Amino acid sequence: MNHQPFETWLLDDKVLTPTEKRELNSHLRDCRTCSALAETGLALRSARVASPAPGFALRFQHKLAAQKLAEQRRRLWGLIVLILSGVGLVGWALAPVLISIASSPVEWLISVTGLFLFVFTSLQAFGEIVTVVLRMLPDFLPPYMWMVILSGLAGMGLLWAVSIWRLARRPQGVPA
Amino acid sequence: MNEEQTWVAQAQQGDDEAFTKLVETYQTPVFNLCYRMLGEPELAEDAAQETFLRAYQHLHRYDQKRPFPTWLLSIAAHYCIDRLRRRKFSMFSMDVEDEDGNSFEIPDMDAPSPEGEAITGQTNERVQAMLKDLDATDRAAIIMRYWYDYSEKEIAESLNLTVSAVKSRLHRARKELAGLWVEQEDDLLAEMERRHHESPAF
Repeated sequence: MNHQPFETWLLDDKVLTPTEKRELNSHLRDCRTCSALAETGLALRSARVASPAPGFALRFQHKLAAQKLAEQRRRLWGLIVLILSGVGLVGWALAPVLISIASSPVEWLISVTGLFLFVFTSLQAFGEIVTVVLRMLPDFLPPYMWMVILSGLAGMGLLWAVSIWRLARRPQGVPA
Repeated sequence: MNEEQTWVAQAQQGDDEAFTKLVETYQTPVFNLCYRMLGEPELAEDAAQETFLRAYQHLHRYDQKRPFPTWLLSIAAHYCIDRLRRRKFSMFSMDVEDEDGNSFEIPDMDAPSPEGEAITGQTNERVQAMLKDLDATDRAAIIMRYWYDYSEKEIAESLNLTVSAVKSRLHRARKELAGLWVEQEDDLLAEMERRHHESPAF
């Protein structure tokens, strides 16, 4: 049996003209397939809306509160573990230094002063090298290269600033 | 800005009272979708609660240009589809008992007479029984179309499908339902015939 165009009318929920309605009714009397299609359409349209048991919103509030509490606890434990790990690591790193200070303070003071002097002189030498390079560079690089370098640096700076802003921003609607 | 948009904006600013008003307003449509998808009131309650929790957590992602109920039902539909794909659910009739032995009933909206009510109840049972045989996404499309009068475009947006895919899914699902409807009628007729022959009068 040819089901067209009746099947398409039923599937598309087409608004029918009186003539089309008559044609469809006549077809439905003989066609079980299209009749079932029409009946299921009616059944779907007349199906009821199921409601939740009373107190749904209250149950949601309790669930939300419980979830927030669990989240807070999780964060607190995370923070405690982080702090303890940090303290442990710093302690482990400083242990040899602390032991050496306790055993011979004068020797330690001399070595620290030597280290500071070394760092200071190294920084001074590095500064001088940078000054000399900066004084020589303008003669080597053409102005358009300077533009490219400065644009690149500005772009990277902007990217860095945007990344920091996006990471720091707390999304709205998310529990604090 | 209407009342709903005001609540959404307030909820986005962290106002839990405003979000509770949204829950109160949309609890029934969300629960109904979950119930029609999952077939059990307890699972539907869990799914509806989870839907609102997810909506609360992702409220900052909500685009004010989109209708709020569409966004909410989209979350519910995706959650139910995921659950259905993860495990098979056993389906029950409309009146089932919960853990405490309390009967769950679909609230009576417009019962004209006990006879009419019985017929409507039977039809509802048949519809619910047939829905469970549909593919999860097809089921969601059918529910959105016939319970919420969503257009094909709205269904497509909610289920992340193209409009032509929604149309094809709706057609396929309707044909499948019609086939199941015929099967149910055949079974019913066969059962009646069997009882007729088994009757002590023969």
